Amino acid sequence: MAPLNPYTYIQCPCSDSASLGRPSDATSPTSADGDEEDNAFDPRAPRANFSLYPLEYLLYCEDCHQIRCPRCITEEIATYFCPSCLFEVPSSNLKSEGNRCTRSCFQCPICIGPLSVTSIEAPPSDPSLLVPDRAGTPHTTYSLICSYCSWSSTEIGIQFDKPNSIHAQLAKIRNGGASRLTAKERKERRKELSHRGGEAALAASSEAAAGQDMDLETQFANLKLFYNSQLADPNAGDNGFSSLGDLGFSSPSSLSRIMNLYTGGKLHDPRAKSKLGAMREAITADEGLLETDLDESSLITQLHQSDFLDTASSTQICSQPPNLGETYIYGAARFNSSLRPVPYLLRTKRSKRCPVCRHIISKPEAKVQTTRFRIRLVAGSYIPSITIRRLNLPGPNGPAAPAILGDLLEPLKPVHFVLTFKNPIFESLKVTLGAPAKTPGRFPSKVTVLCPQFDIDANTDVWDEALKENDRESSGRSRRRAGTESQFQVEVGKIWERGRNWVSIIVEVVPASLKLEPGRDVLKQDEDVLEIPMFVRIEWEAEGGGDDAASGTGRDKDQKEKKELAYWCVLGLGRIKQG
Amino acid sequence: MSRRPPRGEYIETDTGNKVARKATLVGTQNIMLGGKTVIQPEVMIRGDLVRSIQSSSSSSSSGTPNNTAVAIGRYCFLSRASCLRPPGRFYKGAFTYMPLRMGDHVFVGPSSVIQAASIGSHVHIGARVVVGEFAIIKDYVRVLDETVIPPNMVIPSFSIVAGQPARVIGEVPEGGHEAFELRDLYKTVGNNPQPPAS
Ligand SMILES: [Zn+2]
Ligand SMILES: [Zn+2]
Ligand SMILES: [Zn+2]
Ligand SMILES: [Zn+2]
Repeated sequence: MAPLNPYTYIQCPCSDSASLGRPSDATSPTSADGDEEDNAFDPRAPRANFSLYPLEYLLYCEDCHQIRCPRCITEEIATYFCPSCLFEVPSSNLKSEGNRCTRSCFQCPICIGPLSVTSIEAPPSDPSLLVPDRAGTPHTTYSLICSYCSWSSTEIGIQFDKPNSIHAQLAKIRNGGASRLTAKERKERRKELSHRGGEAALAASSEAAAGQDMDLETQFANLKLFYNSQLADPNAGDNGFSSLGDLGFSSPSSLSRIMNLYTGGKLHDPRAKSKLGAMREAITADEGLLETDLDESSLITQLHQSDFLDTASSTQICSQPPNLGETYIYGAARFNSSLRPVPYLLRTKRSKRCPVCRHIISKPEAKVQTTRFRIRLVAGSYIPSITIRRLNLPGPNGPAAPAILGDLLEPLKPVHFVLTFKNPIFESLKVTLGAPAKTPGRFPSKVTVLCPQFDIDANTDVWDEALKENDRESSGRSRRRAGTESQFQVEVGKIWERGRNWVSIIVEVVPASLKLEPGRDVLKQDEDVLEIPMFVRIEWEAEGGGDDAASGTGRDKDQKEKKELAYWCVLGLGRIKQG
Repeated sequence: MSRRPPRGEYIETDTGNKVARKATLVGTQNIMLGGKTVIQPEVMIRGDLVRSIQSSSSSSSSGTPNNTAVAIGRYCFLSRASCLRPPGRFYKGAFTYMPLRMGDHVFVGPSSVIQAASIGSHVHIGARVVVGEFAIIKDYVRVLDETVIPPNMVIPSFSIVAGQPARVIGEVPEGGHEAFELRDLYKTVGNNPQPPAS
């Protein structure tokens, strides 16, 4: 079993809907005052998973005086950027280009490693084939090559003429190397054809469209064009079925509603109301009709002939971007040869708001390259951190072996843990701890906090500390440091060790025995982990009302305001030995 | 490097670097240490793999060629048996090494091999990690144990990466920035190590 490093998780108040957002002032009694023992927090409760976080993941709202977690904060995207080329993508581009990098950043469709553009050395060309005007400049082509698994885009028959703007080039190439028209080109061509006019030209274009493999993007564009023309056609509604037709798919109003869903337009088109009635459906490829090809025998024979390794795994298919160049939506072959390079998904920088008072509690600088934050109210600078260390007291046979973190805990044998509380704020903290005498669950371990109440000195200036340290050299701290811990007795009500802005106390635990009825019961996952819930209440005096603190230096003492914060946390101490 | 009378495990330089006697530094004249950096035993730094083709811009602006092969910032920590090796590639038809640059507060775990082009500041690289040639790791990045970062990969700031090949598996939370500081770790090694602060 994997060794377990001690951990501390803190519960965000958002899991308790009653206390969410209520400022923790002294007048409002917290649940701790009354029936603390009754509803002691159970870290094994299924819901606890969603409210426990390591301290680093928690933010703090200065206005609500409350902890905020990733689950309850609201996020606002400040910047979109590509994680590979680190270029910022303006949000206006997102709507048109999607949420992927449109430069030359791609991931390998096989292993998701980064792909790099590599020139393919032109093979020593046959002089007879050499085109005279190209003779001076040998034609180099480029491919995308994975630097991890050596996959190359030539394996799917794709090469590029230029080493830059790969995304745009890739949009014009199908797997295998055949070219395809982009949406823009298609539009231009259509315009050109209709410009020329004449039935002949239109028929030719229709034939061309049918002949060319119609892919999803083309089909969508054709259908959209067709339906738009239907909506615009004043004659479409004149067939007497208006009241009935309005309910059907082929009515203009439901159609415009559906199209708005896909194109992100307004939900209600005012013009649609005026035209009710049925319309005809697409009947040619040019209008977006695609006949389903139900003959899959060629795919089946291809599968028969290929290896398992030639087919794509579900993770590989999942990481594929929605490919608008895909030929058919049905019967898609799942061969590696149909995979395409994956353009990098964009990443974001986000600011975070308090869910209750809406104040911003974290705000990064917008520029991609900077790591600074304008606002960063992290819980770690407001509430004490708790670190856990196992303490080995001497046994009857001389000094104990040094405790190793991750060692298994002996059942029914008392163990001591040193909990160190470090005060991050510039005021001294009064800490009160509460822990149920027995841990919740099937195997209750006994817990005794030897010193449940103590004060921690303020997080003063480091230089003050250096001076103080000299004074202290003879007392408490150095004494413990000099001698081994084995010389000390664990005393009830006494602080174990104290430093500038930290205090260590002892928690005694008698781990439960994990005896199970043989054959009857099994140990659930992580049921052998000794976790103790602990209620922490901190009290401190803060400068009253930020603004007048500077002016009222004379009345400093009166200005101080009592503050308190209380929360549950869970201490993971280790695994109990089985059997 | 100044040697002090008591022969400890480490050579401590004037700028506060602590270099283990059992570390292998090849081509020391091409290795730049910013100061307060710890180099543990069995570490290898290949300062001999120096750039053989000077970039046109640097040779024209300054007369002396820049021969730095490995540049390390302040408060870096190279754990036992890790290796720093400048990346190399073909450039205009000839093979050349390029410098490996590392910012401040970079932790390199035991037995990891680094061939990156650049590593930012406040980066934690776990044990047995391979950082491929010309990879770029930005600031505040945590690389978990046994990760293989493919060559040329770019890892943006505040990423947590893991896997073979590496992928971004999470984001460093706002409250996790201070954990990258290596000042305290620096004090715990050397010839007169201090116990870790509790
Ligand atoms: Zn929350
Ligand atoms: Zn990009
Ligand atoms: Zn690959
Ligand atoms: Zn708030």
